[in-house]
Amino acid sequence: MLLIHNTMDHTAKLSPEEMQRFLKDCMDYINRLVSQGKLKGAQPLVKEGKIISGSRGSWKDGPFNEAKEVIIGYYHLLAKDIDEAIAIAKENPEFAYTATARIEVRPIRTIEKSTGFLYPSQE
Amino acid sequence: MTENNPIDQPAIHQLVDHLFRHESGKLVAVLTRVFGSDNLDLAEDVVQDSLAEALTQWQYRGVPDNPSGWLFRVARNKSLNILDRERRQQRYSAEVRAGLLAGGTLESSVDLLFSEQEILDDQLRMLFTCCHPAISPDSQIALALKTLCGFSVAEIARSFLTPEENIRKRLTRAKQGIREAPLPFEVPVGAELHRRLDTVLSTLYLLFNEGYNATSGEDPIRYDLCGEAIRLAGLIEQHPAIRDRSAVYALLALMAFNASRFKARQDREGRLLTMAEQDRSLWDRALIANGIDYLRRSMQAGPDSIYYWLAAISAHHALAPDYASTDWPGILGLYDGLLRMEDSPVVRLNRAVALSMVEGPQMALQELDRLQEDATLQTYPYLYSTRAEMYLRLQQFPAASACLEKAIACSTLEKEAERLRERLAFCREKIS
Repeated sequence: MLLIHNTMDHTAKLSPEEMQRFLKDCMDYINRLVSQGKLKGAQPLVKEGKIISGSRGSWKDGPFNEAKEVIIGYYHLLAKDIDEAIAIAKENPEFAYTATARIEVRPIRTIEKSTGFLYPSQE
Repeated sequence: MTENNPIDQPAIHQLVDHLFRHESGKLVAVLTRVFGSDNLDLAEDVVQDSLAEALTQWQYRGVPDNPSGWLFRVARNKSLNILDRERRQQRYSAEVRAGLLAGGTLESSVDLLFSEQEILDDQLRMLFTCCHPAISPDSQIALALKTLCGFSVAEIARSFLTPEENIRKRLTRAKQGIREAPLPFEVPVGAELHRRLDTVLSTLYLLFNEGYNATSGEDPIRYDLCGEAIRLAGLIEQHPAIRDRSAVYALLALMAFNASRFKARQDREGRLLTMAEQDRSLWDRALIANGIDYLRRSMQAGPDSIYYWLAAISAHHALAPDYASTDWPGILGLYDGLLRMEDSPVVRLNRAVALSMVEGPQMALQELDRLQEDATLQTYPYLYSTRAEMYLRLQQFPAASACLEKAIACSTLEKEAERLRERLAFCREKIS
């Protein structure tokens, strides 16, 4: 799983022409991963959201701070190991067009090796 | 979270080149009408936001069927939200207020401004507002590039080889001018239209030339600027309000002829080539045909602009199979026509080149001697390089060297200076 972190306003400084090039590079990136059979899913996360904190009885739900870093989207990869996932993450166009991108590369645990427990999933 | 599984290939629809930039120009024009020309910054922000929204969504799921319609819908909804928020202050542009007074809802009043014909009209309104004589020509170009062409401050600064801070100042001054006058967001009518059209065309001509003859820096040709000048002139040509189109056709013809030589103007090292040196098979025949067509239409409408004479001269070059068979007497006659409209030292300088081809370099030098006294040409490198060419043809190498040295000293364009230095080396070889 690639979790894409960036600031909320990370595209505010891009010119229309840069946005279009960014878009094209993203589409090429996704197409390449799909044709290699390495992408299971990828989606952006909606800008408007809440952060819930506190505990029962005293919930706080603050909005995000525009300048702060949030998770803006994810890529669900089918990589053979973490090195391959890291290599794919490094090619993400987010790095070429913004200076504030960070990508978290996290393997998904599908099975508990010691007990053989399969975590629930759609399939 | 639901995942598309397996996920669709996203790039089903390819994007037209510069779609974001051009849609941005259309949207800023429409939203300026929605919010009023004193809220240009707000219009630009909403457009930037809408494009960012498109970028976020399309990068994962691909470009929709009608990307332009998608962007317009998003921008419309965003502006409705803003107007709704401001409902209490009742701060609407005159157009939205008119819709409301006529009994429409906020939504129907805004939708009226988003129709196809209005979008074209709004771009023309924006062009006339940007090119208002109350704004300096420098600021006019910067503002047109920012609003109508979707260039960022950084991109404008890059193409003018000027620090971003300068461009920011020019934009601020232009917007201040619009707010303070205040300049109406409209296409003028009657005699005023004719006068103002002159300013608009000369701004577009300046914009084209800025791209065509970069006056400084390393990259001599920035075709994006030329492309935008042609596109904006095309908007004027299409518009039913502009009845007298002779000058518009002529400017389009002139730009088409010049643009037809883009591929042939530089050698592999990027040095600019003269007409005599260019490989004419690289000239774009389709653009030349366009130019001829526009020129014919301009002639039918009455050739009463400097663009007409310049385009006609350009046409002669475009149609000559090679340099030697150029119709110089014809070109000289056209320069005489141009002189009657605009007697300027630069026109006389160019006429002198044609004169040299008809009556010889000696005659041309006499004309150039007179020009040398003109203060405006004192630092103009082409005056000296043209004189040098005449002396070269007369085999007077010391005189040619002296002129070339002056031309190099005045040159602000690195590639041009490089070329002149080569000529100078050639001269010196002949002398020794």
